[in-house]
Amino acid sequence: MSHGHPHPHPHPHDHSHDDGAAPGQGEMAAVVDMSVADKDLSPAELSRRQMFRRAGLLGAGVTAAGVLGASGRAAADTADTADTAGLTRSTPGEPRDGYLWLAGDHHIHTQHSSDGMYRVIDHVQHANAYGLGWMVITDHGSVAHAKIGVEKVNPDILAAREAVKDTLVFQGLEWNIPAAEHGTVFVAPGRNEVATLKEFENSFDGSVKNATASTPQNEALAIAGLNFLADAVKKRRVPDVLFLANHPARKGLDTPHEIRAWRDAQPGIAIGMEGAPGHQAAGIPKPNGPGSGRGLYDNSPSADSWSGYPPESYKTFGGFDWMTATVGGLWDSLLAEGKAWWITANSDSHTVYGDASDRGPGSDFDANGRYNDPIYKGVPNLANSDFWPGYYSRTHVGAAGFSYGAVMEGLRQGRVWVDHGGLISGLVVRARTSDKRGVTLGDTLHVRQGAQVEVAVEITLANRPNWAQFVPTLARVDLIQGDVTGPVSDKDAFTTPSTKVTQSFEVGKNTGTVTFTFKLGAVDRPVYVRLRGTDGNRSAPGLLGAAVDPHGPQIDVFGDADPWKDLWFYTNPIWILPRR
Amino acid sequence: MIIGIDAGSRTVAEAEHLLHMVAEALGTPPGLIGCTHFVRTGVPHVACSLAVPEPVDPSLLPTGVSAAVGESRTGPDGEGAARAAAEHASGEGGRVVLFPGRAELVGSLTVAELLARSALDQVLVLAQPEPPSAAAVVVTNDHVRPVWREGLMTLLTMPMAGGRLTPAEVPNPTPCCADHA
Repeated sequence: MSHGHPHPHPHPHDHSHDDGAAPGQGEMAAVVDMSVADKDLSPAELSRRQMFRRAGLLGAGVTAAGVLGASGRAAADTADTADTAGLTRSTPGEPRDGYLWLAGDHHIHTQHSSDGMYRVIDHVQHANAYGLGWMVITDHGSVAHAKIGVEKVNPDILAAREAVKDTLVFQGLEWNIPAAEHGTVFVAPGRNEVATLKEFENSFDGSVKNATASTPQNEALAIAGLNFLADAVKKRRVPDVLFLANHPARKGLDTPHEIRAWRDAQPGIAIGMEGAPGHQAAGIPKPNGPGSGRGLYDNSPSADSWSGYPPESYKTFGGFDWMTATVGGLWDSLLAEGKAWWITANSDSHTVYGDASDRGPGSDFDANGRYNDPIYKGVPNLANSDFWPGYYSRTHVGAAGFSYGAVMEGLRQGRVWVDHGGLISGLVVRARTSDKRGVTLGDTLHVRQGAQVEVAVEITLANRPNWAQFVPTLARVDLIQGDVTGPVSDKDAFTTPSTKVTQSFEVGKNTGTVTFTFKLGAVDRPVYVRLRGTDGNRSAPGLLGAAVDPHGPQIDVFGDADPWKDLWFYTNPIWILPRR
Repeated sequence: MIIGIDAGSRTVAEAEHLLHMVAEALGTPPGLIGCTHFVRTGVPHVACSLAVPEPVDPSLLPTGVSAAVGESRTGPDGEGAARAAAEHASGEGGRVVLFPGRAELVGSLTVAELLARSALDQVLVLAQPEPPSAAAVVVTNDHVRPVWREGLMTLLTMPMAGGRLTPAEVPNPTPCCADHA
C-alpha cells in the first residue's frame, strides 16, 4: 500500500475495474473522482457515486457521461410499476446495468430486543462503513416491544437517518409469524410507520398473541396479518410494506404449504426468505469462536416442526439455508411453479463476534423496552455469533434510484443477488436473445417458440480485500436451470424434478472483470435460470445427487465452520417463456 | 407390549422427564425402550411410548397422564398416547430416549463401539449416502438420541471439528433429566 498520492486526483482511465484495482485506490477515490467516467466504474462503485449524487454530495454536471441516461431511467421506472405477481410482467427496454446496486441487510437487532444490546446508530455507523446502502432495524416482536420498544426505537432511527445520509434506514420488526418462524416486516418511512407496525404487532405477533403453535388457527392468523399489511398500504397508512421469512428451515417450522400460502395471499408483500441466515460466525471453532452450528442452526425437530422435513434441513450448507442450498429443493420447487419468491442474505446481528463492548449494566428491559446503552468492556467476546451489517452478508438490490421506495421496489421485483465475504463486487446478468438486450434478475424474458436464448454474465471480481483482509477468489459459477411446470397440487411439495446445474464456468481469479455467456440453446418450453458462484473451497454432491448438483455446497461442520473459508454467491432467477 | 403415554408435553425435554417419571412409577426393569413422539391431537405436542415386558397397571401412572395399551385408553388424551404407541410399534418414527446400553454411550466412541455397547442398529451421517466407517469417532456429548428408521434404531450424526462425528441432535444447553439417567 505504498500508493502515495492523495485523492481525489486525475489519472488515466486504464486503471478501472478490469486492471485489478491498483493498491491504494480505494473504491471511494474512483467514485468521487469525476475524471473517471461512470462507464469506467464497477457496478458497486457506480452505485456509490449515484448514491452521493442523489444525496447532493456530488456535482450534477458529471451525470452527462453516465450510463444511466434519463430515457433509460424512465424506461426502468416503467418496468418497476408493472404487475408484480409472477410471470405476467412486461419487459420494456432497459439499459444494461441500468440500476443502482445497493447492498443491504433486512435483519438487524438493537438494544430494543431482549437478546440485543447495540444502539441503532451503532449498527448504522458500522453498516455505512461496511458499504451498505440500505438496512432494516428488526427488533423482536414481544410484549415489551409492542408496548414500548416499537415506539422508543423510532426517534433513534430518525436521528440515524439524519446523521448518516447515504445509508437508508428502514424501521421494521422481526415478526413471530403465528404457527411459524420469524420474519422481517418493514415499512417505507412515513407518518404512520410506528402506528402501523405497533398495531400489526399487537394484533398478529405470535409471541404477543400466544400463537406460536403450529395449528391451522395460527396459520390463519399469519395470513390475516399479511392481509392487514396489504390493507395498510391500500388505505395509504404506509407507502409500502414488505415481508420476508427469516432463517426459514432452522427449526422446521415454516412448512412448504405455509410459505406458498403467505406468498399467494399477498404476492406484493410476502416476497421471499433468507437464502442465508445470519449468525455466520457461530461455527468458528473454539476457543476462538462460539464453536456451534454455522448460522446458529443447532436445532432439532420439535412438536411444532413439520414432520415432512428431513434431518438435513436443520443444518446449513456453505452457510446457506437448506431450502435455498438444495438444488432442486424447496426454493426451486417454488420457482418451478412460476412463483416469484426471492432470497436474501443478512447479518441477524445481535452481538458481534470479537466485539469488546457489553450490554448496558443496570438495565430493566421489561420496564423500559430497551437495554441501557452498551458500555466498553475491553474484553473481546469470542462467543458472539454475529457480524456487523455489511461485514459478511450482503443483499444487493438493483434500485431505480437512491430512495426507500426504489429499494423496496427492487426487492419486490427480485432484482437481487446475495454474497458472503465479498466474494464478488458486482454482477450484471442478462437473459436475452442475441439481438435484444434482454432482462435481468427477477424478470421474465418472453421469446418466440424455439428462440436461441443466452445468459450473459459480467462479474466484477472482488478486486479489493474483504473485511477479513483478503481478496476472495471466485473459482466457479454454476448455471442452475429448471422447467417451469406451473402450480403444484401438493402444497407441501419441496422438490422439483427437472432443476439441476446445467453449465459451469471456471473463473479462478480475484481481480478484474470476467464476462461469459451461457448458451441455453433453443428454448421450446418455459424455464427459469439462476446463478451460483463459489470460492471452491468446500463442495460435495448435492442432496438430490451428483447428477443434479455435482459440486454443491457441503454441509457445514459443526463447531468448525470458518465462514471466511467457504464463500458463495447466489442470484435470484430469470424466467424465460416462449410464446405458444 | 407398547404403552403409550401422553401428558401434553410441549417440549421433548418435558416429554423425556415424563418418560422417566412413568418408568419409575411403574417400577419397570432397566433396559426397556422408551421414545418420544410428535403428535398432533389438538395442539402439537410430544407424547411417549414405553415397551414393557408384561401388562402394566395404568392406575400406577402419575395423575393427569393419559395412556393407551392395546385398544384401551385412559385419561384426556388417550388418542395422543395411542398414536405414540402405534408409531413406536411401526418402527417408522419416534425418537429413542431409553434403550439398552444407553448409559454406556458417553464420551467419544467409535461407531463400532456404539453398536457393540448398545441396542443401536446403525449410525448414519447427514448428507452422506454411505454409512461411516466402523472406526469413525463419534463425540457423544453424553447425549445419544437415536430415531427409528425402517425398523432400525438409527443414530443420525453430522461432521464436527477434527474429522469426527457428533449426534445431529445437539444436547439442550440445560440438560433435562440429568439426574434421572
